[in-house]
Amino acid sequence: MSHGYLFLSGPVGSSGVAVPHYRGSRYFLMVLAAMVLGFFLAISSAWADGGTSVPNAVPPKGEHEGKNVEQPIEFPHNIHVDVNKINCMYCHTYARRSKVAGIPPTSKCMGCHLVIATDKPRIKKLTEYWEKKEPPRWKKVHDVPDYVHFTHEKHLKRFVFDNEGMSVDNVSEVCAFCHGEVKKMTVAHKVKPLNMGFCARCHEANKGPFDCWKCHK
Amino acid sequence: MSLDNILTNWSRYRKGAEEGGFHEYEHQWGMVVDLNKCIGCNACSVACYAENNLPVVGEKRCGKNQAMNWLRIERYWDEPDIEPYKAIPTANVDVWIEGNPPAKKTDLKPSMPSSYLPGLLEQGGQSFEERVGFDGTKSEFQDFGASFLPMMCQQCHAATCEPVCPVAATYHTPDGLNAQVYNRCIGSRYCSNNCPYRLRYFNFWSYYEDAWPEPLHMQLNPDLSVRDKGVMEKCTFCVQRIRVAKDMAKMENRKVMDGEFATACVQTCPTGALVFGDMQNPESQVSKLWSYHQVERGKTKQSKQNKELRGYRILEGLNTDPSVLYLERVREV
Repeated sequence: MSHGYLFLSGPVGSSGVAVPHYRGSRYFLMVLAAMVLGFFLAISSAWADGGTSVPNAVPPKGEHEGKNVEQPIEFPHNIHVDVNKINCMYCHTYARRSKVAGIPPTSKCMGCHLVIATDKPRIKKLTEYWEKKEPPRWKKVHDVPDYVHFTHEKHLKRFVFDNEGMSVDNVSEVCAFCHGEVKKMTVAHKVKPLNMGFCARCHEANKGPFDCWKCHK
Repeated sequence: MSLDNILTNWSRYRKGAEEGGFHEYEHQWGMVVDLNKCIGCNACSVACYAENNLPVVGEKRCGKNQAMNWLRIERYWDEPDIEPYKAIPTANVDVWIEGNPPAKKTDLKPSMPSSYLPGLLEQGGQSFEERVGFDGTKSEFQDFGASFLPMMCQQCHAATCEPVCPVAATYHTPDGLNAQVYNRCIGSRYCSNNCPYRLRYFNFWSYYEDAWPEPLHMQLNPDLSVRDKGVMEKCTFCVQRIRVAKDMAKMENRKVMDGEFATACVQTCPTGALVFGDMQNPESQVSKLWSYHQVERGKTKQSKQNKELRGYRILEGLNTDPSVLYLERVREV
Protein backbone atom coordinates (compact mmCIF):
# COMPACT_ATOMS: atom_id res chain seq x y z
CA MET A 1 0.00 0.00 0.00
CA SER A 2 2.82 2.35 0.80
CA HIS A 3 3.94 2.08 -2.81
CA GLY A 4 0.56 3.11 -4.00
CA TYR A 5 0.60 6.26 -1.95
CA LEU A 6 4.13 7.07 -2.92
CA PHE A 7 3.34 6.95 -6.57
CA LEU A 8 0.08 8.79 -6.36
CA SER A 9 1.25 11.72 -4.32
CA GLY A 10 5.02 11.67 -4.58
CA PRO A 11 7.14 13.92 -6.77
CA VAL A 12 7.68 11.29 -9.46
CA GLY A 13 4.21 9.99 -9.96
CA SER A 14 2.30 13.19 -9.45
CA SER A 15 3.45 14.70 -12.72
CA GLY A 16 4.79 13.27 -15.93
CA VAL A 17 7.20 16.20 -16.00
CA ALA A 18 9.62 14.26 -13.90
CA VAL A 19 10.07 11.79 -16.70
CA PRO A 20 12.46 13.71 -19.01
CA HIS A 21 14.92 13.54 -16.17
CA TYR A 22 15.55 9.99 -17.26
CA ARG A 23 17.16 9.64 -20.64
CA GLY A 24 16.02 6.97 -23.02
CA SER A 25 12.69 5.34 -23.57
CA ARG A 26 13.54 2.26 -21.51
CA TYR A 27 13.51 4.33 -18.31
CA PHE A 28 10.39 6.06 -19.47
CA LEU A 29 8.61 2.77 -19.92
CA MET A 30 9.79 1.51 -16.57
CA VAL A 31 8.56 4.61 -14.81
CA LEU A 32 5.29 4.43 -16.68
CA ALA A 33 4.87 0.79 -15.72
CA ALA A 34 5.64 1.60 -12.10
CA MET A 35 3.11 4.40 -12.17
CA VAL A 36 0.42 2.16 -13.55
CA LEU A 37 1.25 -0.53 -11.02
CA GLY A 38 1.25 2.00 -8.24
CA PHE A 39 -2.09 3.32 -9.36
CA PHE A 40 -3.65 -0.11 -9.20
CA LEU A 41 -2.06 -0.78 -5.82
CA ALA A 42 -3.48 2.47 -4.52
CA ILE A 43 -6.92 1.64 -5.86
CA SER A 44 -6.88 -1.80 -4.32
CA SER A 45 -5.67 -0.53 -0.95
CA ALA A 46 -8.28 2.21 -1.01
CA TRP A 47 -10.85 -0.50 -1.54
CA ALA A 48 -9.51 -2.49 1.35
CA ASP A 49 -9.47 0.53 3.66
CA GLY A 50 -12.64 2.17 2.50
CA GLY A 51 -14.69 -0.99 2.68
CA THR A 52 -15.63 -0.47 6.31
CA SER A 53 -19.11 0.21 7.54
CA VAL A 54 -18.06 1.78 10.82
CA PRO A 55 -19.57 5.25 11.00
CA ASN A 56 -17.76 8.26 12.50
CA ALA A 57 -14.42 6.56 12.21
CA VAL A 58 -11.32 6.87 10.11
CA PRO A 59 -9.59 3.51 10.14
CA PRO A 60 -5.88 3.71 10.94
CA LYS A 61 -3.49 3.25 8.06
CA GLY A 62 -0.47 1.04 8.05
CA GLU A 63 0.52 -2.49 7.26
CA HIS A 64 2.83 -5.02 8.73
CA GLU A 65 3.88 -8.49 7.82
CA GLY A 66 3.80 -10.37 11.04
CA LYS A 67 5.26 -13.81 11.41
CA ASN A 68 2.96 -16.72 11.76
CA VAL A 69 2.86 -17.62 15.41
CA GLU A 70 2.51 -21.30 16.07
CA GLN A 71 -0.22 -21.93 18.59
CA PRO A 72 -0.84 -25.14 20.53
CA ILE A 73 -4.02 -25.64 18.51
CA GLU A 74 -4.48 -24.04 15.13
CA PHE A 75 -7.57 -22.14 16.15
CA PRO A 76 -9.72 -21.32 13.09
CA HIS A 77 -11.01 -17.77 13.60
CA ASN A 78 -12.51 -17.92 10.13
CA ILE A 79 -14.85 -20.80 10.93
CA HIS A 80 -16.03 -19.16 14.13
CA VAL A 81 -16.43 -15.60 12.90
CA ASP A 82 -16.93 -15.77 9.16
CA VAL A 83 -18.92 -18.96 8.84
CA ASN A 84 -20.73 -19.20 12.14
CA LYS A 85 -21.00 -15.45 12.77
CA ILE A 86 -19.96 -15.54 16.39
CA ASN A 87 -19.33 -12.10 17.81
CA CYS A 88 -15.70 -11.35 18.76
CA MET A 89 -16.80 -10.32 22.21
CA TYR A 90 -18.50 -13.63 22.87
CA CYS A 91 -15.09 -15.16 23.52
CA HIS A 92 -12.92 -12.08 24.04
CA THR A 93 -15.38 -10.92 26.62
CA TYR A 94 -13.06 -8.69 28.62
CA ALA A 95 -12.49 -6.32 25.72
CA ARG A 96 -15.50 -4.22 26.52
CA ARG A 97 -14.80 -3.91 30.22
CA SER A 98 -11.06 -3.93 30.78
CA LYS A 99 -7.71 -3.05 29.36
CA VAL A 100 -7.12 -6.45 27.80
CA ALA A 101 -9.37 -8.38 25.47
CA GLY A 102 -8.59 -11.65 27.19
CA ILE A 103 -8.41 -15.21 26.00
CA PRO A 104 -11.45 -17.29 26.82
CA PRO A 105 -11.11 -20.04 29.39
CA THR A 106 -11.16 -23.57 28.07
CA SER A 107 -14.54 -24.03 29.69
CA LYS A 108 -15.96 -21.52 27.23
CA CYS A 109 -14.63 -23.58 24.33
CA MET A 110 -16.03 -26.73 25.85
CA GLY A 111 -19.40 -25.10 26.35
CA CYS A 112 -19.96 -25.67 22.66
CA HIS A 113 -17.43 -28.31 21.81
CA LEU A 114 -18.73 -30.92 24.20
CA VAL A 115 -21.33 -31.46 21.51
CA ILE A 116 -20.19 -29.65 18.38
CA ALA A 117 -17.63 -31.12 15.99
CA THR A 118 -16.23 -33.49 18.57
CA ASP A 119 -14.74 -35.76 15.93
CA LYS A 120 -12.41 -33.13 14.43
CA PRO A 121 -8.71 -33.50 15.24
CA ARG A 122 -8.37 -29.98 16.65
CA ILE A 123 -11.34 -30.47 18.94
CA LYS A 124 -9.91 -33.80 20.07
CA LYS A 125 -6.73 -31.97 21.00
CA LEU A 126 -8.78 -29.40 22.87
CA THR A 127 -10.67 -32.09 24.73
CA GLU A 128 -7.34 -33.59 25.75
CA TYR A 129 -6.36 -30.31 27.35
CA TRP A 130 -9.74 -30.11 29.00
CA GLU A 131 -9.45 -33.59 30.45
CA LYS A 132 -5.93 -32.92 31.68
CA LYS A 133 -7.30 -29.74 33.28
CA GLU A 134 -4.58 -27.77 31.58
CA PRO A 135 -5.12 -24.65 29.51
CA PRO A 136 -3.59 -24.58 26.04
CA ARG A 137 -0.62 -22.23 26.23
CA TRP A 138 -1.75 -19.69 23.69
CA LYS A 139 0.98 -17.38 22.53
CA LYS A 140 0.52 -13.64 22.44
CA VAL A 141 0.38 -12.22 18.94
CA HIS A 142 -0.56 -8.58 19.38
CA ASP A 143 1.69 -7.17 22.03
CA VAL A 144 2.49 -3.55 22.75
CA PRO A 145 5.59 -2.65 24.73
CA ASP A 146 5.46 -2.43 28.51
CA TYR A 147 5.66 1.35 28.46
CA VAL A 148 2.38 1.67 26.59
CA HIS A 149 -0.97 2.00 28.24
CA PHE A 150 -3.75 0.74 25.99
CA THR A 151 -7.31 -0.04 26.98
CA HIS A 152 -9.66 -2.02 24.79
CA GLU A 153 -12.54 -0.76 26.89
CA LYS A 154 -12.27 2.87 25.93
CA HIS A 155 -11.64 2.17 22.27
CA LEU A 156 -14.75 -0.01 22.10
CA LYS A 157 -16.72 2.68 23.88
CA ARG A 158 -15.62 5.26 21.34
CA PHE A 159 -16.07 3.16 18.21
CA VAL A 160 -18.89 0.79 19.13
CA PHE A 161 -21.02 1.53 22.14
CA ASP A 162 -21.02 5.33 22.01
CA ASN A 163 -20.89 5.38 18.23
CA GLU A 164 -24.23 6.36 16.77
CA GLY A 165 -25.36 4.09 13.96
CA MET A 166 -22.85 1.40 14.82
CA SER A 167 -24.20 -2.07 15.32
CA VAL A 168 -22.52 -4.26 17.90
CA ASP A 169 -22.88 -7.15 15.43
CA ASN A 170 -20.27 -5.46 13.25
CA VAL A 171 -17.75 -5.16 16.04
CA SER A 172 -15.27 -7.28 14.10
CA GLU A 173 -14.79 -4.36 11.75
CA VAL A 174 -13.67 -2.18 14.63
CA CYS A 175 -11.40 -4.93 15.87
CA ALA A 176 -9.98 -5.12 12.36
CA PHE A 177 -8.68 -1.55 12.69
CA CYS A 178 -5.78 -2.88 14.73
CA HIS A 179 -5.98 -6.64 14.34
CA GLY A 180 -6.60 -6.93 10.64
CA GLU A 181 -9.23 -9.18 9.19
CA VAL A 182 -8.94 -11.94 11.74
CA LYS A 183 -12.16 -13.44 10.46
CA LYS A 184 -10.30 -14.47 7.31
CA MET A 185 -7.40 -16.01 9.24
CA THR A 186 -7.09 -19.23 11.13
CA VAL A 187 -4.77 -18.30 13.98
CA ALA A 188 -4.24 -14.57 14.20
CA HIS A 189 -1.05 -12.99 12.99
CA LYS A 190 -0.03 -9.41 13.21
CA VAL A 191 -0.90 -7.41 10.11
CA LYS A 192 -0.88 -3.91 11.55
CA PRO A 193 2.30 -2.30 12.81
CA LEU A 194 0.88 -1.23 16.22
CA ASN A 195 3.69 1.25 16.63
CA MET A 196 3.47 4.82 17.82
CA GLY A 197 3.04 6.28 14.37
CA PHE A 198 0.14 3.94 13.71
CA CYS A 199 -1.56 4.92 16.97
CA ALA A 200 -0.80 8.61 16.60
CA ARG A 201 -2.11 8.82 13.04
CA CYS A 202 -5.38 7.25 14.10
CA HIS A 203 -5.65 9.47 17.15
CA GLU A 204 -5.13 12.48 14.94
CA ALA A 205 -7.67 11.38 12.34
CA ASN A 206 -10.30 10.46 14.93
CA LYS A 207 -9.54 13.31 17.30
CA GLY A 208 -8.35 11.08 20.09
CA PRO A 209 -6.38 12.39 23.05
CA PHE A 210 -2.91 13.60 22.21
CA ASP A 211 -1.23 13.83 25.58
CA CYS A 212 1.97 11.76 25.90
CA TRP A 213 0.96 10.52 29.32
CA LYS A 214 -2.33 9.24 27.96
CA CYS A 215 -0.51 6.27 26.46
CA HIS A 216 3.02 6.32 27.82
CA LYS A 217 3.49 5.19 31.33
CA MET B 1 2.57 17.21 13.30
CA SER B 2 3.90 16.08 16.63
CA LEU B 3 6.46 18.87 16.79
CA ASP B 4 3.69 21.38 16.15
CA ASN B 5 1.69 19.78 18.91
CA ILE B 6 4.58 20.03 21.31
CA LEU B 7 5.34 23.62 20.45
CA THR B 8 1.75 24.84 20.73
CA ASN B 9 1.18 22.96 23.95
CA TRP B 10 4.42 24.20 25.34
CA SER B 11 3.73 27.81 24.70
CA ARG B 12 0.22 27.41 26.07
CA TYR B 13 1.38 25.99 29.34
CA ARG B 14 4.37 28.26 29.63
CA LYS B 15 2.18 31.33 29.70
CA GLY B 16 1.76 32.92 33.08
CA ALA B 17 -1.54 33.25 34.88
CA GLU B 18 -1.80 36.92 33.95
CA GLU B 19 -1.77 35.94 30.27
CA GLY B 20 -4.54 33.44 30.83
CA GLY B 21 -2.21 30.48 30.62
CA PHE B 22 -4.04 28.11 32.87
CA HIS B 23 -7.59 28.13 31.68
CA GLU B 24 -7.62 24.93 29.68
CA TYR B 25 -6.79 22.54 32.46
CA GLU B 26 -8.97 19.47 32.78
CA HIS B 27 -7.85 18.92 36.34
CA GLN B 28 -5.29 20.49 38.58
CA TRP B 29 -4.03 17.86 40.89
CA GLY B 30 -2.72 19.31 44.08
CA MET B 31 -1.62 18.26 47.51
CA VAL B 32 -1.60 19.56 51.04
CA VAL B 33 0.99 18.43 53.58
CA ASP B 34 0.23 19.19 57.19
CA LEU B 35 3.61 19.24 58.92
CA ASN B 36 1.91 19.32 62.29
CA LYS B 37 0.64 15.84 61.64
CA CYS B 38 3.80 14.46 60.06
CA ILE B 39 5.64 12.17 62.43
CA GLY B 40 8.48 11.36 60.05
CA CYS B 41 7.67 7.66 59.92
CA ASN B 42 8.66 7.34 56.24
CA ALA B 43 5.61 5.21 55.43
CA CYS B 44 4.84 7.49 52.48
CA SER B 45 8.31 6.96 51.12
CA VAL B 46 7.98 3.20 51.44
CA ALA B 47 4.60 3.28 49.75
CA CYS B 48 6.12 5.25 46.93
CA TYR B 49 8.87 2.68 46.51
CA ALA B 50 6.30 -0.08 46.29
CA GLU B 51 3.89 1.71 43.99
CA ASN B 52 6.31 3.23 41.53
CA ASN B 53 8.83 0.41 40.99
CA LEU B 54 11.60 2.34 42.67
CA PRO B 55 14.80 0.36 43.09
CA VAL B 56 16.49 0.13 46.44
CA VAL B 57 19.94 1.17 45.37
CA GLY B 58 21.95 0.11 48.38
CA GLU B 59 24.01 1.90 50.94
CA LYS B 60 26.98 2.90 48.79
CA ARG B 61 24.97 4.45 45.99
CA CYS B 62 22.75 6.06 48.56
CA GLY B 63 25.85 7.68 50.00
CA LYS B 64 26.65 9.06 46.57
CA ASN B 65 23.27 10.73 46.47
CA GLN B 66 21.90 8.26 43.95
CA ALA B 67 18.95 7.05 45.97
CA MET B 68 15.76 6.95 43.95
CA ASN B 69 13.40 8.19 46.63
CA TRP B 70 10.76 10.11 44.74
CA LEU B 71 9.30 11.07 48.05
CA ARG B 72 11.88 11.76 50.69
CA ILE B 73 11.49 12.86 54.26
CA GLU B 74 13.73 15.79 54.95
CA ARG B 75 14.78 16.17 58.54
CA TYR B 76 15.39 19.55 60.09
CA TRP B 77 16.58 20.44 63.56
CA ASP B 78 15.31 23.30 65.60
CA GLU B 79 17.95 25.65 66.87
CA PRO B 80 19.41 24.12 70.04
CA ASP B 81 19.61 27.40 71.88
CA ILE B 82 15.89 28.04 71.97
CA GLU B 83 15.04 28.65 75.62
CA PRO B 84 12.90 25.60 76.36
CA TYR B 85 15.53 23.24 75.05
CA LYS B 86 18.21 24.78 77.21
CA ALA B 87 16.19 23.91 80.24
CA ILE B 88 16.29 20.22 79.37
CA PRO B 89 19.62 18.60 80.29
CA THR B 90 21.24 17.62 77.00
CA ALA B 91 21.18 14.02 75.96
CA ASN B 92 19.51 12.69 79.03
CA VAL B 93 18.25 9.31 77.96
CA ASP B 94 16.55 8.74 81.30
CA VAL B 95 13.83 11.04 80.12
CA TRP B 96 12.66 8.30 77.78
CA ILE B 97 12.42 5.61 80.39
CA GLU B 98 10.30 7.14 83.02
CA GLY B 99 10.39 5.48 86.42
CA ASN B 100 12.91 2.91 85.32
CA PRO B 101 16.24 4.64 84.78
CA PRO B 102 19.14 2.41 83.87
CA ALA B 103 21.72 1.87 86.58
CA LYS B 104 24.47 3.16 84.38
CA LYS B 105 23.90 5.09 81.22
CA THR B 106 26.13 2.71 79.28
CA ASP B 107 23.79 -0.19 80.09
CA LEU B 108 21.30 1.16 77.66
CA LYS B 109 21.79 -0.71 74.40
CA PRO B 110 19.96 -0.28 71.17
CA SER B 111 17.06 -2.62 71.03
CA MET B 112 18.14 -3.98 67.66
CA PRO B 113 21.06 -6.40 67.69
CA SER B 114 23.96 -4.78 65.93
CA SER B 115 24.32 -7.83 63.67
CA TYR B 116 21.27 -6.53 61.81
CA LEU B 117 23.25 -3.53 60.77
CA PRO B 118 26.41 -4.91 59.19
CA GLY B 119 26.84 -1.95 56.89
CA LEU B 120 26.65 0.56 59.66
CA LEU B 121 28.88 -1.52 61.82
CA GLU B 122 31.75 -1.48 59.39
CA GLN B 123 31.88 2.25 59.05
CA GLY B 124 35.07 3.59 60.53
CA GLY B 125 35.68 0.43 62.51
CA GLN B 126 33.32 1.60 65.17
CA SER B 127 30.53 -0.42 66.64
CA PHE B 128 27.04 0.84 66.30
CA GLU B 129 26.94 1.82 69.94
CA GLU B 130 30.21 3.69 69.71
CA ARG B 131 29.26 5.60 66.64
CA VAL B 132 25.70 6.50 67.44
CA GLY B 133 26.32 6.79 71.13
CA PHE B 134 23.27 5.43 72.81
CA ASP B 135 24.79 6.23 76.16
CA GLY B 136 23.69 9.72 75.41
CA THR B 137 27.08 11.37 75.33
CA LYS B 138 28.24 10.90 71.76
CA SER B 139 25.11 11.41 69.73
CA GLU B 140 25.65 13.38 66.59
CA PHE B 141 22.03 14.37 66.76
CA GLN B 142 20.08 16.52 69.10
CA ASP B 143 17.69 14.70 71.32
CA PHE B 144 14.90 17.15 70.73
CA GLY B 145 13.65 19.43 68.10
CA ALA B 146 13.58 17.27 64.99
CA SER B 147 10.94 18.09 62.45
CA PHE B 148 10.12 16.36 59.23
CA LEU B 149 9.10 17.49 55.82
CA PRO B 150 7.92 15.08 53.11
CA MET B 151 9.32 16.31 49.84
CA MET B 152 7.86 15.09 46.57
CA CYS B 153 7.78 16.65 43.13
CA GLN B 154 5.98 19.94 43.56
CA GLN B 155 4.35 19.67 40.10
CA CYS B 156 5.10 23.32 39.45
CA HIS B 157 2.86 25.17 37.04
CA ALA B 158 5.73 27.24 35.79
CA ALA B 159 8.18 24.43 36.14
CA THR B 160 11.84 25.18 35.68
CA CYS B 161 12.52 21.66 34.44
CA GLU B 162 10.23 21.86 31.43
CA PRO B 163 11.72 24.54 29.18
CA VAL B 164 15.25 23.21 29.47
CA CYS B 165 14.53 19.71 28.20
CA PRO B 166 16.06 19.49 24.73
CA VAL B 167 13.73 16.71 23.58
CA ALA B 168 10.46 17.68 25.27
CA ALA B 169 10.52 14.58 27.42
CA THR B 170 9.17 16.63 30.27
CA TYR B 171 6.16 18.79 29.54
CA HIS B 172 3.01 20.03 31.18
CA THR B 173 -0.10 17.90 30.90
CA PRO B 174 -3.68 19.19 30.76
CA ASP B 175 -3.95 17.81 34.30
CA GLY B 176 -1.46 20.32 35.60
CA LEU B 177 1.27 17.76 36.10
CA ASN B 178 4.89 17.80 35.02
CA ALA B 179 5.01 14.72 32.89
CA GLN B 180 8.16 12.75 32.34
CA VAL B 181 8.10 10.55 29.27
CA TYR B 182 10.77 7.94 29.81
CA ASN B 183 10.93 6.84 26.21
CA ARG B 184 11.74 10.27 25.02
CA CYS B 185 14.29 11.10 27.70
CA ILE B 186 17.87 11.11 26.48
CA GLY B 187 19.38 11.69 29.90
CA SER B 188 20.82 15.14 29.42
CA ARG B 189 19.99 15.87 33.08
CA TYR B 190 19.33 19.53 32.38
CA CYS B 191 16.00 19.23 34.15
CA SER B 192 17.44 17.98 37.41
CA ASN B 193 20.08 20.66 37.32
CA ASN B 194 17.38 23.24 36.86
CA CYS B 195 15.06 21.94 39.57
CA PRO B 196 15.34 24.15 42.65
CA TYR B 197 13.89 21.38 44.82
CA ARG B 198 16.30 18.63 43.72
CA LEU B 199 13.43 16.29 43.11
CA ARG B 200 14.47 14.64 39.92
CA TYR B 201 16.32 11.38 40.08
CA PHE B 202 18.57 9.98 37.44
CA ASN B 203 19.12 6.31 36.68
CA PHE B 204 22.87 6.19 36.77
CA TRP B 205 22.79 2.40 36.63
CA SER B 206 20.53 -0.34 35.38
CA TYR B 207 19.06 -0.76 38.81
CA TYR B 208 16.50 -3.29 37.66
CA GLU B 209 19.27 -5.82 37.18
CA ASP B 210 19.79 -6.34 40.90
CA ALA B 211 17.05 -4.40 42.64
CA TRP B 212 14.45 -7.13 42.30
CA PRO B 213 16.09 -10.55 42.41
CA GLU B 214 13.76 -13.50 41.76
CA PRO B 215 10.83 -13.76 43.19
CA LEU B 216 10.86 -10.05 44.12
CA HIS B 217 10.26 -9.05 40.52
CA MET B 218 6.74 -10.27 41.05
CA GLN B 219 6.08 -7.21 43.19
CA LEU B 220 6.64 -4.82 40.31
CA ASN B 221 3.69 -2.65 39.44
CA PRO B 222 2.62 -3.40 35.86
CA ASP B 223 0.93 -0.03 35.50
CA LEU B 224 4.16 1.78 34.95
CA SER B 225 7.42 0.92 33.33
CA VAL B 226 10.63 -0.11 34.99
CA ARG B 227 13.12 2.55 34.03
CA ASP B 228 16.45 1.74 32.52
CA LYS B 229 19.82 3.38 32.79
CA GLY B 230 20.14 6.93 31.47
CA VAL B 231 16.60 8.05 32.13
CA MET B 232 15.40 10.79 34.43
CA GLU B 233 12.45 10.10 36.66
CA LYS B 234 10.47 11.81 39.36
CA CYS B 235 7.27 11.76 41.35
CA THR B 236 4.28 11.66 39.01
CA PHE B 237 1.54 12.10 41.60
CA CYS B 238 0.89 8.40 40.86
CA VAL B 239 -0.27 9.15 37.35
CA GLN B 240 -1.20 5.49 36.85
CA ARG B 241 -3.86 5.84 39.53
CA ILE B 242 -5.04 9.12 38.07
CA ARG B 243 -5.32 7.40 34.70
CA VAL B 244 -7.42 4.57 36.10
CA ALA B 245 -9.68 6.97 37.98
CA LYS B 246 -10.19 9.10 34.90
CA ASP B 247 -10.84 6.07 32.73
CA MET B 248 -13.41 4.75 35.17
CA ALA B 249 -15.11 8.12 35.42
CA LYS B 250 -15.25 8.35 31.66
CA MET B 251 -16.72 4.88 31.32
CA GLU B 252 -19.44 5.87 33.77
CA ASN B 253 -19.94 9.27 32.10
CA ARG B 254 -19.21 11.33 35.18
CA LYS B 255 -16.45 13.47 36.59
CA VAL B 256 -13.72 12.18 38.84
CA MET B 257 -14.98 12.53 42.39
CA ASP B 258 -12.97 13.91 45.25
CA GLY B 259 -11.51 11.18 47.39
CA GLU B 260 -12.26 8.54 44.77
CA PHE B 261 -8.60 7.68 44.64
CA ALA B 262 -5.42 8.86 46.26
CA THR B 263 -1.76 8.63 45.55
CA ALA B 264 0.18 5.87 47.29
CA CYS B 265 1.73 8.23 49.85
CA VAL B 266 -1.60 9.79 50.75
CA GLN B 267 -3.23 6.40 51.04
CA THR B 268 -0.50 5.19 53.37
CA CYS B 269 0.02 8.17 55.66
CA PRO B 270 -1.00 6.93 59.13
CA THR B 271 -1.75 10.37 60.50
CA GLY B 272 -3.52 11.79 57.49
CA ALA B 273 -0.91 14.48 57.05
CA LEU B 274 -1.19 14.30 53.27
CA VAL B 275 -4.27 15.28 51.32
CA PHE B 276 -4.62 14.89 47.58
CA GLY B 277 -7.25 16.09 45.19
CA ASP B 278 -8.37 18.14 42.23
CA MET B 279 -8.05 21.87 42.73
CA GLN B 280 -10.38 22.59 39.83
CA ASN B 281 -13.17 21.18 41.95
CA PRO B 282 -14.06 23.84 44.53
CA GLU B 283 -15.67 21.19 46.73
CA SER B 284 -12.56 19.06 47.06
CA GLN B 285 -10.77 18.87 50.37
CA VAL B 286 -7.61 20.18 48.79
CA SER B 287 -9.10 23.33 47.34
CA LYS B 288 -10.93 24.00 50.59
CA LEU B 289 -7.66 23.79 52.49
CA TRP B 290 -5.93 26.04 49.99
CA SER B 291 -8.61 28.66 50.23
CA TYR B 292 -8.82 28.35 54.00
CA HIS B 293 -5.12 29.03 54.29
CA GLN B 294 -5.45 31.86 51.80
CA VAL B 295 -2.80 30.52 49.47
CA GLU B 296 -3.39 31.28 45.81
CA ARG B 297 -1.94 29.92 42.60
CA GLY B 298 0.17 31.98 40.27
CA LYS B 299 1.69 34.21 42.92
CA THR B 300 5.25 34.67 44.05
CA LYS B 301 4.20 36.16 47.35
CA GLN B 302 0.98 35.46 49.19
CA SER B 303 -1.02 38.32 50.57
CA LYS B 304 -2.48 36.62 53.59
CA GLN B 305 -4.98 38.52 55.66
CA ASN B 306 -4.40 36.39 58.70
CA LYS B 307 -0.78 35.93 59.63
CA GLU B 308 -1.71 33.05 61.93
CA LEU B 309 -2.57 30.85 58.97
CA ARG B 310 0.05 28.17 58.45
CA GLY B 311 -0.01 27.58 54.71
CA TYR B 312 3.03 28.21 52.57
CA ARG B 313 4.59 26.89 49.41
CA ILE B 314 8.23 26.01 49.20
CA LEU B 315 10.39 28.46 47.23
CA GLU B 316 7.38 30.10 45.65
CA GLY B 317 9.41 33.29 45.42
CA LEU B 318 11.17 31.69 42.47
CA ASN B 319 7.90 31.85 40.52
CA THR B 320 7.70 28.09 40.09
CA ASP B 321 4.06 28.07 41.22
CA PRO B 322 4.13 24.67 42.96
CA SER B 323 1.03 22.52 43.48
CA VAL B 324 1.91 21.37 46.97
CA LEU B 325 0.81 23.39 49.96
CA TYR B 326 2.67 22.90 53.22
CA LEU B 327 1.10 23.77 56.55
CA GLU B 328 3.74 25.02 58.92
CA ARG B 329 4.60 23.09 62.00
CA VAL B 330 3.59 24.76 65.24
CA ARG B 331 5.83 24.32 68.26
CA GLU B 332 5.06 25.04 71.83
CA VAL B 333 7.57 27.70 72.69
